[in-house]
Amino acid sequence: MRRYFRTPFSRVPLLGWLAGILIAVALERLAGAPLALALGLTKVPVLFGFVIMLKKPALIPSAVLYVLLIYAAPTAVVTRLSISPANRLAAWLVRLPMAIPVAVHLGLLYAALHIWAEISDYRVLVLKLTLIAVMVTLSLNVINGYMGEFSCSHPGFMAIGAYFASVFTVGLFVNDQFFGAVFLPQALGPFLFPIALILGGFLASFGALAVAIPSFRTRGDYLAIISLAFLFIVKSLIENLEFVRGPRGLSGQPDWATLPTVFLWTVLCVWSINNFVRSTVGKALNAVRDNEMAAGAMTVDTRRTKIVAFLFAAFWAGVAGGLFAHVLRYVNPSTFGIQKLAEVLAMVYFGGLNSVYGSIVGAVSISLLGEALRPLEIFKWIIIPLLLILVMIYRPTGLIAFKDLDVTALLQPKRKPEEEA
Amino acid sequence: MRTRSLVGVFVLAGFLAFVPSGWVQAQTIKIGINAPLTGDIPKVGEGTKFAAQMWLEDVKAAGGLTVGGKKVPVELVIEDNESKAESAVKAATKMITEDEVLVMVGPQASKQAIPAGGIANNYKTPMVTPWSTNPDATKDRPYVFRACFLDPFQGPVLANFITEQFKFAKAAVLYDVASDYPKGLAEFFKMAWERLHGPGSVVAYESFTTKDTDFSSQLTKIKNSGAQVLFTPQYYNEVALIVQQAHQLGWKNPIVGSDSWGSAETVSLCGKDCYGLFFSTHYAAAGATGATKEFIIRYQRKHGYVPDDVAALTWDAMGLVQKAIQDTGGLTGDLKKDRDNVRSALSQIKNFKGITGDMTFSGGGDPSKCAVIVQISDKGEFEFYKSACP
Repeated sequence: MRRYFRTPFSRVPLLGWLAGILIAVALERLAGAPLALALGLTKVPVLFGFVIMLKKPALIPSAVLYVLLIYAAPTAVVTRLSISPANRLAAWLVRLPMAIPVAVHLGLLYAALHIWAEISDYRVLVLKLTLIAVMVTLSLNVINGYMGEFSCSHPGFMAIGAYFASVFTVGLFVNDQFFGAVFLPQALGPFLFPIALILGGFLASFGALAVAIPSFRTRGDYLAIISLAFLFIVKSLIENLEFVRGPRGLSGQPDWATLPTVFLWTVLCVWSINNFVRSTVGKALNAVRDNEMAAGAMTVDTRRTKIVAFLFAAFWAGVAGGLFAHVLRYVNPSTFGIQKLAEVLAMVYFGGLNSVYGSIVGAVSISLLGEALRPLEIFKWIIIPLLLILVMIYRPTGLIAFKDLDVTALLQPKRKPEEEA
Repeated sequence: MRTRSLVGVFVLAGFLAFVPSGWVQAQTIKIGINAPLTGDIPKVGEGTKFAAQMWLEDVKAAGGLTVGGKKVPVELVIEDNESKAESAVKAATKMITEDEVLVMVGPQASKQAIPAGGIANNYKTPMVTPWSTNPDATKDRPYVFRACFLDPFQGPVLANFITEQFKFAKAAVLYDVASDYPKGLAEFFKMAWERLHGPGSVVAYESFTTKDTDFSSQLTKIKNSGAQVLFTPQYYNEVALIVQQAHQLGWKNPIVGSDSWGSAETVSLCGKDCYGLFFSTHYAAAGATGATKEFIIRYQRKHGYVPDDVAALTWDAMGLVQKAIQDTGGLTGDLKKDRDNVRSALSQIKNFKGITGDMTFSGGGDPSKCAVIVQISDKGEFEFYKSACP
C-alpha cells in the first residue's frame, strides 16, 4: 500500500494537486449528471453525497461510487501521471517573479471552485459563506491565537461592517423607503462596493479602539469581559437605531457579492493576515503572548503591538461582515449574537490556534459539516460539539496549530527523496 | 497483486448490485418545508413538521394529489433552518435548486421568512409562510404568500376591541424592543389607539430587552401612569412573568395580548393569573367546531398536546398549496412553468375555508382574513370570544 500510494503522492507538487482537482471537477461538469442518473441518483450529489447518504441510506453505495469515480479516481490518476511534468512546470514557475506562480496557482484554484460551484446555486451559496467564515476565523485567530488573548467581540465587528456596507449600498443605489430614492447609477455600484467594505472595516476598527484602549492596560480576563460587553452594546445599539429598522433588519442589498468578489477578498484577507503574522509586528505579537514583560524588556512596544493587531483583526471582521450582508441580502442584529460568537470560536479552536492553515481548515470543515449533517436535525448539535470535544482532548490547541503558511515553500516542486539526501 | 485486483472487482460488483434501478423517474410533486427544527424555537418547528406530515398522510391515503384528473404522488422535503437567517437562506436555496420543490412552505418567523422570501422570489418559486406577520416578507415579492393576517391589521383590531369592550381611553404598552414582532405590533397598536383616542392616549410606552425577567420598574411606571389597560404583545414565557409581576404590584385592570400568546405553554406557566384575559389570535382551540375540531383532535391523539396556532396555520398553508396546485388544472412537467402556474393560482384563491378562518387573496401575497379574540377560561382553555374581520 505504502509503495503504491504514499511514496509517489508525497512527490506531487501543489500545482499537480490543483490540476488533478480541476480535471475532476471538469469531469463532473461534463459527465456528472449522466453518471449520477446511471447510478440511480436523481441529481449530481451536491455536497460529496453526504446529504443523500443521510437522507436515503439505500443510496449510500451509489453516492460513494459517485464520489470515487468523479472525484477520487480522476484526481488520483491525474496527479499520479502529472508528477514529473507538474514538478518541472513548478520548478520553472518558481524561478519567475513571485507574483506569477502565485497568480497561476490562485487562478487554478479559482477555476476549480468556479467549475465545481457552477453546477448548482446551492454550492455557490455554501462556498461564499464558507469563504466568509474563513475570513472571520482567520481574523479572530490573530487575537485568540497569535496574541493569546480571548476576544468575544468579533460578531460585533462583523455587525458594524455589515450594517455600514448595507447602509452605504442600500442608501446610494436602491430605492428604499428609509433612505429615499436612488442616489447614484447602478453601474457605478460594483466599483464602489469595495469602498463600502473597506469603510465598514475601518468603522469596525474604530469600534475596536473602544475595546482596546481600556482593556489593554492590563492582562488577563479583562479583554474577554470588555469585548463581550462591546458585543452586547453593538447589538442593542442597532436594535434601537430606527433608521436601520432596528430588530426588523435591513434588506434589499444589491447582489454584488458574487463568487469572484468573495474569493478575491478572501485571498486578500489570507494574504495580508499571513504577511502580518509573519512580519516583525507578528513576531512581536507572539512575544507579547508568551511573556509580556520579557517582550517589553526586549524593546517591544507591547501596548502598541496589541492595539495594532486588534484593530487589524477587527478590520477584516468588518469586511467579512459587509460581504456576509451582501451574500444574504438581509441583516438583522440578532444574527450577530452569542450564537455567531460560539460558531466562530468553534472554528478557531477546531482548526488550530496560531495558524493560518488551521483557520482555513477549521472554517471549511465546520461550515461543510454543518451543511452536510443538516438532515440529522437535532443530532447535528450532538455530533459537532462531540467532535470539538475530541479535538480538545487529543489535540488541545486544535488540528493544525502553530504552523506557518510559507507560500514560497508551498509552491516549490517536490524532489525525489534521493535528491534530497 | 492478482488477489488485490480480484477483491477490487468484487467490491465494485457489490456496489453495483446495490444500485437501485431508478432509470425511469415518475413525476412527483415536491413540497419544501423550511422549519426551525433546532435553535431558539424548536416547538414551532415541531408543530410545522407534524402538521405537514399529517397533511401528507391524508394525501397518501387518497393515493396522491388529484391534479387535472391524474393522481400524482407527493413528497415533502423537510429542511431545518436552525432558526437562523443564513440557514434559512441556505435551506431555501437547497430545496429550490437541488430538490426542485414546486412550492416552499415556511419559514415561520419573520427574521427567516424575509431573507428566504427574497430567495424564493429570485428563483420564481412560490413560497407560503404560515406565521410571518411582518409586512416586509411579502412586500414587492409576487412569489411570496402568507397564511396569516398582518401586524398592521392586528394592531387596530385590538385597539377597537378594547375600546368597545371596556370603553377605556388610556392604554399602556409593554414590549420587547429587541425582538422584531413585539416591537412592530406595539407600534401598530399605539398608532391605532392614538387614532381612536387622540395623541397622548397611550400614557405609558415601556420597553425591555429579550431575556429580561424583572419588569417591576416598567410595571410600576405603567401603574402610576393611570393607564386603564395594559397591552403586551409578548411570547408565552414573558407573558407569564409580566402578568404575575403586574398582579403582585397591585395591577387590577385587564391585560390584553396578541397572537404570540396562543401557545399551550402560556397557561401552564402563568396559571390562575392569566384566567379571564383576552388576546387576539388566528384560531381558538376550545369550543372549535367542524374541520378545526377534527384537526385538533387528530393532532392531540397523535402527538399528545393541543396544537398551537403555528400548527394550524401550517395546516392551512398546506391546504392553500394543495388548492393552488389543483387549480392549475394539471402539471406540465416543466418546473418553471408549473411554479408560475401555482403562483398565479395562489394569488387568485377566493374564500378558502381554512381551519383558521376564511382566506381570500386578491392578486397580492397577503390574504384578507378575520382575527379571533380569545378569552382564557377558568379552566385555562382558549375560548372563542368574538371575531374581527377587515
